[in-house]
Amino acid sequence: MSYENIVRYFIIETNWLELYQQVIVAFTDPKKRVFWGYLLLSVFVAFVWLRWFKRKDSKQAFFTIFSRKVWWSQSAKADYAIFLINKLSFLFIAPLIITQLAVATWLFEYLHELLGYRIIIGDEWPKWIIVTLFTLTYFLLDDFSRFYVHKLLHEVPALWLFHKTHHSARTLTPITVFRTHPVEGIIFALRSVLVQGILIALFVFFFGPKADLYTVLGVGLFAFLFNTLGANLRHSHIGIGYPDWLERYLISPVQHQIHHSTDPRHFDKNYGVILAIWDRLFNSLVVSTRGQFLAFGLSREEKKGEQNLFFIYFSPFKELSSLLKAKKSANKSKGEKLKI
Amino acid sequence: MKLNLLVASIAIAGAANVSAAPNYVDFPVTVKGYEGDAKHSVSYSGQAARQVLHTSLKKLSGQGNGQPNAELKAKMLSYFAAKDAGRSILSPVTKGAFIVDQSGVDQLSKKKNLVGKVYKGSVPGWPGGMTGPEVLESMIDKASSSNKGYDPLTGYDYQQLISKFVMGAVFYNQAVDNYLDEKLAADIKPNSQPYKAGKQYTGKEHVWDEAFGYFGAPANTLNLNAEAVYKIAKQKSDALALADFNGDGKVSLYNEMAYAHAYYAAGFDKGGKTTYLHNIVQAFVDGRQLLTDAKGENLTDAQRTELKTHASTIADNWQLVIAEAVFKYAGSTYKDLQKLNKLIETNGDIAKEFRGYAKHWAELKGFALALQVGNKNLGETAVKLNRLIGFSPVLLGNTQVMGLDAKGNYLQASSIDMKQYMLHMLKVQQLMVDQFGVKARNKDVLADMGELADKLSSGVSAEND
Repeated sequence: MSYENIVRYFIIETNWLELYQQVIVAFTDPKKRVFWGYLLLSVFVAFVWLRWFKRKDSKQAFFTIFSRKVWWSQSAKADYAIFLINKLSFLFIAPLIITQLAVATWLFEYLHELLGYRIIIGDEWPKWIIVTLFTLTYFLLDDFSRFYVHKLLHEVPALWLFHKTHHSARTLTPITVFRTHPVEGIIFALRSVLVQGILIALFVFFFGPKADLYTVLGVGLFAFLFNTLGANLRHSHIGIGYPDWLERYLISPVQHQIHHSTDPRHFDKNYGVILAIWDRLFNSLVVSTRGQFLAFGLSREEKKGEQNLFFIYFSPFKELSSLLKAKKSANKSKGEKLKI
Repeated sequence: MKLNLLVASIAIAGAANVSAAPNYVDFPVTVKGYEGDAKHSVSYSGQAARQVLHTSLKKLSGQGNGQPNAELKAKMLSYFAAKDAGRSILSPVTKGAFIVDQSGVDQLSKKKNLVGKVYKGSVPGWPGGMTGPEVLESMIDKASSSNKGYDPLTGYDYQQLISKFVMGAVFYNQAVDNYLDEKLAADIKPNSQPYKAGKQYTGKEHVWDEAFGYFGAPANTLNLNAEAVYKIAKQKSDALALADFNGDGKVSLYNEMAYAHAYYAAGFDKGGKTTYLHNIVQAFVDGRQLLTDAKGENLTDAQRTELKTHASTIADNWQLVIAEAVFKYAGSTYKDLQKLNKLIETNGDIAKEFRGYAKHWAELKGFALALQVGNKNLGETAVKLNRLIGFSPVLLGNTQVMGLDAKGNYLQASSIDMKQYMLHMLKVQQLMVDQFGVKARNKDVLADMGELADKLSSGVSAEND
């Protein structure tokens, strides 16, 4: 397989129209976190924060939000490239990932076999109770599973190698959310598929047609609230924080920026997405300090070539093989010691 | 003056566009050397006769009084197997504003029966290892001695079983496994000869017409939407206007009525997700036009290939219509079982619900058997389908019919319970989706899950939080 042939294969096999559509849709679909409406609202919230709380004038606020140093940094440029490369590679990867409907259908049938029959709970309950229950349960399970997978991505060495891609960002913009290694992307996709599939099957099995989701503009209620209230500001240099008592319940944008911070005291902290209660439970919560300065990235100093795309995509595999080799030889020597 | 001319020509152009779609009537005579005075070559009166023999037989199937009834059985057999003159059309008949033209089978065609055209192979989905004709004769025998065609001991609704299986074993099988298959070959009923000496249609034209007649669509279908054809089949009060395209104030049972699988296709299409009815009739019309264009010569290879493509479209869509019906009735049976289980648990009265369950099951079974008598060997799919549905509905004592004894009586033995049977119905729906790709999906047990999945999902992409 010559290099030329491989490139030719991808050029022919790629549905370029679909790729174009996917890129556009990221900004035009209210279900996506960078829907232009949410971005606009985030700018507005950032503006209000900088004017009211930080006492900057309009011009200062504007240039803080749209700073060239942030949006056109080496790191940001890498973000944009990764966004496009991932959209392209996921054209091929996405169809291979099992769908939540497949998981739900399997579980739905399995429940028939396991329980022997179909029982409908809450036949007499009004629909709104069941819809509230489903929306709430989905929100909690979704948020917790995101927290927990994120925790694993930091604490399991093999997984950290891939999550490093996201933390290698030196500047944070809403596009940084797409700075994800495809392997991590697959892991997140599977998490979503499992959570949705299991919940759909359980609720439809036990509650029948009443099982439904509260939506706004076709988006799940909590996802909508999260996005409208400035989820995009998590990846920004606008350090919006909440009063301490609130930050123990809801993760503020600056708390996520702390998560990205190069200060070792901030490593492996604030894994949460919407709720801060999981970090509290697992002792990984840090509340923000007014006026604190934060730098982002994997290390204090910038390393040469750390924003190089080739390095970003392929070094995790290299490091993974070294890790596995090291483990193998460690086990081997452990075994040898025991023989003595 | 010029303005009037302009307006008039626009009006004429407009009127011409109103009836733009072709119908299955106006195909000219192309037989070379034809000396009669027929203006058109379309003819499928024999098939129309069989449509009314079927609908009349269905009506008779529900007239038993619970005792052995030799008279009823003889009457049923006269419609099924005999070629008697003077048989009246028991259904469809004039209903309110829906005036039906013919009242006797002979007015459509003489000396026709159903048994001669029934699929002759074995029917593994029915107990007893019988051939198609044997299955129907057995059902007719049992129907004649059941109360209104229903046997509560086995759960068999013979009226539904007979009707759905006749539609498959006669109409579907004859059309897709005979006329649209072997009869399209070059050496059989060639296009350069009349079908029979002196007839106004060529061999191939008539073969094609017969297949069309078996589908059961009104000749004017392409100018009607699915909802309209559905209403015609149901003989709704406003359907006369829709059906009566020659304007004689009556619905001709020959080419204006809607029957059989055409009715089912219309039923699915009116949900807006499918276009089976028009796909099939358009292919029929296109094929018929191709034959007209051949001008009474043998078909070239290119023409034959094209004709076979149309035949394929018809067969594939027709199969889908039957698969959709299997899907729908599996869903209905599932819901009936749900209700029954609930009633049983709360000690409610199950008689009415059980009758509904038996009816839906019989429709499911009839269509499932029909699916297996097309022109394709369904192999493993057929085996799965038969095993999932079984020989009878699961009855209250958790038994099912397992076979026939030497005297032709049904043998029952313990089976899965009614609760597990629900899962089987679910799997039948899955099978229809996986193997046939059904799209209308009426009574989809999994519908709610699909909707929720759509609401929750925001596409797969590599994103962090």
